[in-house]
Amino acid sequence: MKKKILSSLLCATVAATTIIGCGQSAQETSESTTNATAEVSATEATSEEAKTEETTSSDSGEKVTLSIYTQYADDDTKVPYDYAVEQLKEAFPNVELNLIVQAQDDGQTLKTLAATGQLPDIYQASTDIINTFRESNQIMVLNDVAQSTGFLDKLYEANKDLAYAEDGNIYAFPFSGQEYVLWYYNKALFEENGLEIPQTYDDLKNCIEVFKSKGITPLALFGQEGWNTAAAYDVVATRYTEGGIKALDEGTASITDEAYASAAKTLEELVAAGLFQDSATTTNYDQASEMFLSGNAAMFINGQWYIEDATSALGENVDWMFYPAADEASYEAGKSVFSGGGSASGFAVNPDSENAELAAEVAEFITEKYCEAKVMYRHNPLVALDTGKEPDSEYPAMMKKLSDTLPTITATTKFTWGLTNSTFNDGIQSESQGLVSGQFTAEEFIADMTDIME
Amino acid sequence: MWPPDLLKRNNTMKKYMGNKLAIFLFVLPALAIFLIFDFFPIIQVFAYSFTDWNGLTTPNFLGLKNYIDLFNDRVFYTSNRNQLIFAIVITVYQMLFATIFAITISDKKMKGRKFLRVAYFIPVILSVTVVCQLWSAILSGQGLLNKLFEAFGSDYTQNWLGDRYKAIYVIAFVNAWQWMGYQFALIVAGIKSIPADYYEAAKIDGCSNVKAHMKITIPLLAETYKFCLIISLTGGIKAFTEMNILTGGGPNKSTFTLTYMMYNAAFKKSDYGYGLASASIMVIECMLVMLVINFIFREKNQLKEEEKSKKRRLSYGN
Repeated sequence: MKKKILSSLLCATVAATTIIGCGQSAQETSESTTNATAEVSATEATSEEAKTEETTSSDSGEKVTLSIYTQYADDDTKVPYDYAVEQLKEAFPNVELNLIVQAQDDGQTLKTLAATGQLPDIYQASTDIINTFRESNQIMVLNDVAQSTGFLDKLYEANKDLAYAEDGNIYAFPFSGQEYVLWYYNKALFEENGLEIPQTYDDLKNCIEVFKSKGITPLALFGQEGWNTAAAYDVVATRYTEGGIKALDEGTASITDEAYASAAKTLEELVAAGLFQDSATTTNYDQASEMFLSGNAAMFINGQWYIEDATSALGENVDWMFYPAADEASYEAGKSVFSGGGSASGFAVNPDSENAELAAEVAEFITEKYCEAKVMYRHNPLVALDTGKEPDSEYPAMMKKLSDTLPTITATTKFTWGLTNSTFNDGIQSESQGLVSGQFTAEEFIADMTDIME
Repeated sequence: MWPPDLLKRNNTMKKYMGNKLAIFLFVLPALAIFLIFDFFPIIQVFAYSFTDWNGLTTPNFLGLKNYIDLFNDRVFYTSNRNQLIFAIVITVYQMLFATIFAITISDKKMKGRKFLRVAYFIPVILSVTVVCQLWSAILSGQGLLNKLFEAFGSDYTQNWLGDRYKAIYVIAFVNAWQWMGYQFALIVAGIKSIPADYYEAAKIDGCSNVKAHMKITIPLLAETYKFCLIISLTGGIKAFTEMNILTGGGPNKSTFTLTYMMYNAAFKKSDYGYGLASASIMVIECMLVMLVINFIFREKNQLKEEEKSKKRRLSYGN
């Protein structure tokens, strides 16, 4: 009998705690779900309120929360965003931003949000996203806003093209201007080893040999990221033809052209000589950057946005060089051609947003503030707009050198995120990765790229 | 003559099976979930694979174009080869080691069996991302493994994850290492369900331990092995996570699988139609593998069932 009572009590206790547990869990789940979807639901809820108040909310001082999907990962992305938010409080006191941090996932999250009708009010759009969303009418045409806010007047002449998509409309407010792939090098390592800056590929092979004999990686590549391997191919291709990968993307050149075949052959030879580390294709940005900044690698290929970080870490021991070429004449001629360039990407607006008009104005405002912050605090004058601002301290030497070079630049190519043909983009990233791995020949590269483009 | 309890059970079963409404009500929840979350999406996958859908706009019918392109794509054949290698490596590794470890710790005289039982299962409860980061640190160019070779004065340092031919074996090993514990748990459970009498009888007849396991344990675990084989082979066919984290599918797509092709086409090229064509092929491959396994094991089961019922009829008849 005692056993029965004991077991009954035990069962009752277990059942009671389970029910309580379930209740709590359900509540917690509900709360966590609420938190998880807060970013979207906050927008929706606010949007509902905003709908009731109509557009007068802006004038009546009602708070409007706009969701924004943008990069917020390092100083180059955090500083401009924080500055823009601060400035927004003064210019749009009734507007609050709800930040959704952009995932580095090739637009996968954004496309999923679009497919499920949950696009944020403002989002950072690449060329690929603009082209895709344009077809599905999920990106707002900003021509009128660009006109009324004076955005077009503020654009640098050289960046006018960046605002317009292929169809002649403005879908995003670009904040980055023309950007460049720079070939960084560690001055101290070159001097210690009695090496001059390589001008020809023969010079470069000599540097490779010397550095390798000292146990130093000649050039640290973060080949896990396809754009970096594509850039490595492009800096060689632009020494043979100024179109680089841009001309291939636009279909005005063919991978079988002699210039591109020579570029592939040259890169194959440089890889065989040991230009990159053995595990280049499985190395990520952090690892490669660490190799360069710690003096374990003598050279590094990255965009000009790396100037600030490289200068902070290496001071006067770091500089960038013009890309080496096949001979001295090509080297001199190639000084006016850079890999990289601008792209029609920037802040876009969801046309289905309840506050689409307001969001468009805010997007334009943020773009302007991003440019200001980049100039003032990131010492990067390569922004899309003329802000009239000055940096809070002197530009780093490398940036000065680039600024001095800018007037002589006659042609640029594209970064992979600025390419318009997604098939070519995917192909060049993977095939160039194969080439720098040293396990695919130049002939394979050309044959595969030919197949891809067909 | 059938025994009375068996006759009674048969009648109850017939009565229950006669109530179609009850059958329908019991089956309905599971059937509804299967139809909504499995069957209907699979049908959609096949339907969209004949279109140029980019995930957002209205799809246009393309006929067999996606499939023709797929069969002309070198990556398609690389992916299939990789899946095959992956499936074979994980199946052999997991079933072999899981069996050896399970038999070893089933021996009650074995010391530390409780610790080993937990140790073998620990990788299973770890996140795939954690496991891949762990192995990435070991296998990277400047990783632990290469450092060990250097420390011992060997020049056998390798680009384990960056080699176009070897990387797939290394990735398969990482997967096999993590999930071996799952099959180990299944086989241990299977061994526990075998009556100890069988082993005692075998011992009395002078059978060695190894022979007893070969003649008793392994044959009686046929159903468990069938399940293990299905999860290993289908796991190999739909492999994705490990290559995504360890190699990003590289170098130059040499560690791609059909799942990776689907992901790449859909999310990098916004070509869902092409991606879903590769997904359709993958679904068909998984179904074929399951059919083949079921066919192989069905033959033996049917024979056994027939023999059993023959014996039963004979004994009751007497």
